[in-house]
Amino acid sequence: MADATARHDPYQDKLDSLTDADLAAILAELRRRLKAPEIAAAHTCIRCGLCADACHYYLTNGELEDVPAHKLNLVLGVIKHHFLPGGRRAGGWVGARKLDKAVVREWVDALFGRCSGCGRCTVNCTSGINIHGLIRAARGALAAAGLVPPELQSTVMTAVEQGNNMGIPRDEWLETVDWIQDELRAETGDPGARIPVDEKGARLLYTVNPREPKFFPLSLLAAAKLFHAAGESWTFSSDRYDVTNYGLYSGDDSCAGLLSGRLVQAREDLGAEVLVLGECGHGFASTRWEAPQWLNRRFGFPVKSVLEVAAEYVRQGRVRLDPSKNKKPLTLHDPCNLVRLGGVVEEQRYLLENAVEDFREMTPNRRNNYCCGGGGGQLAMTRFAKRRLAAGRLKAEQIRATGAMVVVAPCHNCIDQLTELGKEYGLGTEVKTVIEIVADALVLPRKNA
Amino acid sequence: MTALGTLRVLTLAAAGACLAGLAWLTARAFAFGRRVYLSEPRGRAGRGLLYAFGKGMADKESVSRHLPTMLGGVVYHTAIFAALLDVVWTALPVRPGPPPGVFRPVLLAGAVVGPALLAKRAAKPHLRRLSCPDDFFANLFVDVFLALAFLRTVIPSLETALLAVSILLFFYIPLGKIRHCVFFFFTRVVFGLHFGRRGALPGSESRA
Ligand code: SF4
Ligand code: SF4
Repeated sequence: MADATARHDPYQDKLDSLTDADLAAILAELRRRLKAPEIAAAHTCIRCGLCADACHYYLTNGELEDVPAHKLNLVLGVIKHHFLPGGRRAGGWVGARKLDKAVVREWVDALFGRCSGCGRCTVNCTSGINIHGLIRAARGALAAAGLVPPELQSTVMTAVEQGNNMGIPRDEWLETVDWIQDELRAETGDPGARIPVDEKGARLLYTVNPREPKFFPLSLLAAAKLFHAAGESWTFSSDRYDVTNYGLYSGDDSCAGLLSGRLVQAREDLGAEVLVLGECGHGFASTRWEAPQWLNRRFGFPVKSVLEVAAEYVRQGRVRLDPSKNKKPLTLHDPCNLVRLGGVVEEQRYLLENAVEDFREMTPNRRNNYCCGGGGGQLAMTRFAKRRLAAGRLKAEQIRATGAMVVVAPCHNCIDQLTELGKEYGLGTEVKTVIEIVADALVLPRKNA
Repeated sequence: MTALGTLRVLTLAAAGACLAGLAWLTARAFAFGRRVYLSEPRGRAGRGLLYAFGKGMADKESVSRHLPTMLGGVVYHTAIFAALLDVVWTALPVRPGPPPGVFRPVLLAGAVVGPALLAKRAAKPHLRRLSCPDDFFANLFVDVFLALAFLRTVIPSLETALLAVSILLFFYIPLGKIRHCVFFFFTRVVFGLHFGRRGALPGSESRA
């Protein structure tokens, strides 16, 4: 693995000492995930290679191992050999491959180390094969044998064991909320302004990325200001507020289901009408789209992005925005899991058009945006950090081409990657979330009264 | 029955075997189970489907960045379907048979484009390394088939050779990559429904 350091790495030892039982566990989990669409995909890919330049890894690095079809066929080859009629007999003739240690190494390097799960290859594949979905299925199969890169796995386990992926103790979270409430009162000039916690019967249960209380408390303040201005009935949960779900990235459906299930349960316990997901692309894709599958149940209540909620406020006139409060030229990054894979495409644009004076689109944008490179657990997997930053060059070039001074992204993972790209490529841009920009533009009913 | 008559019957039998093989593969795929979506839709799956088979066929970088290859692919596949129709019509006891000139231009185009696609696969290092033997063989096999189909429109006596190659091709279709002729449509349907219900495809956004 290109970025692995020379230091002793127990993960490499594990890969070296795989047993037949490990391989069997991988195959069993892979088999469990196969349904008709995945089998159809194995029959459909014609290795035309036209997905190559959909991928930011390939476009910046240019190695065969970066071509989406290569990554896909690492998985399909194993499916063909083990699960398709005639696969064993046809063997290499049709690209079928028996799962062995060498294949597992290739899987780890390509599927964890060269893919951010952005789905850009999927929408640009000549046939529409769900490439990123199959890559995730294979990651999940590796997870079944305990082969998720340890840095990513520890992020998952921190969330599973401590309730949030930063391991923030409950008291610290509540203190931060308390402090932000003071800030909210000062900013709004309303001594009665509140940040409710565990308020039963509130209309919205709002969830956030734990990086917000830890490093970006102004994001919390921005959302609180928005809800306050809209006169919303909302609440945080004191212990189940983490919108992120690194189980999506590790591929482990049981952990992923457990994490999203907590938010679902918190909504039920508090009796909220709507589960509102904060600015987090993969958190949205996880709980909005994947969690019903993981938990094997229909939710029967709305799960919305905070962008959808904020756009409703503006449309309904519940909040007023003054674009002259945001004068700097600004551009928008589309988080892959929220936009291309999640369908939330126009709400953020509607908000920005109302909240800033000079909004500039990147090219390409919306469903065809380039991944920033921070998704797929790449920010957690430090062993692949060099590749991640190199693959982010396209995004850096896109941002630079807009001439914007501010880049916004409705996702805290993207924010981290964009901040790193700013340093790596000398962009000199401020990085903010959409709701922060909206909050800056809010015309509050009373100020410093 | 004449030798040609026997060959025609065998061609139809091979075509039947081909369809049966593809049907069996489809049934085997469905035996893995269908995916039932449990999330509430945000967009319109039907619109996604329309997009997948309409505008979405061209609205992707694999088209815009590779126009010559994509146009070549369209010509190639049109020629293959024309040649298959031609062969089956020829083999069927329906007279008159296919008018000799009607498929000629598209068959000629296909017979030219096929080897060009093969050359591209062989010449581009990444594409070559991505490929398995079946990718080269299937392309070459179909190129021979198209060349014969075209030549037969000029030299009718080549019908015997064309039917013989067709029989082999019909048997090969379910065994190799050419089976994508069925599964492409399946995959496209899944693509349209999956992203359409999310409102993630143009035109599939919910009206609400
Ligand atoms: S574009 Fe689709 S069909 Fe072509 S090689 Fe890539 S994954 Fe396979
Ligand atoms: S999902 Fe994104 S990063 Fe992964 S192979 Fe496809 S385009 Fe590349």
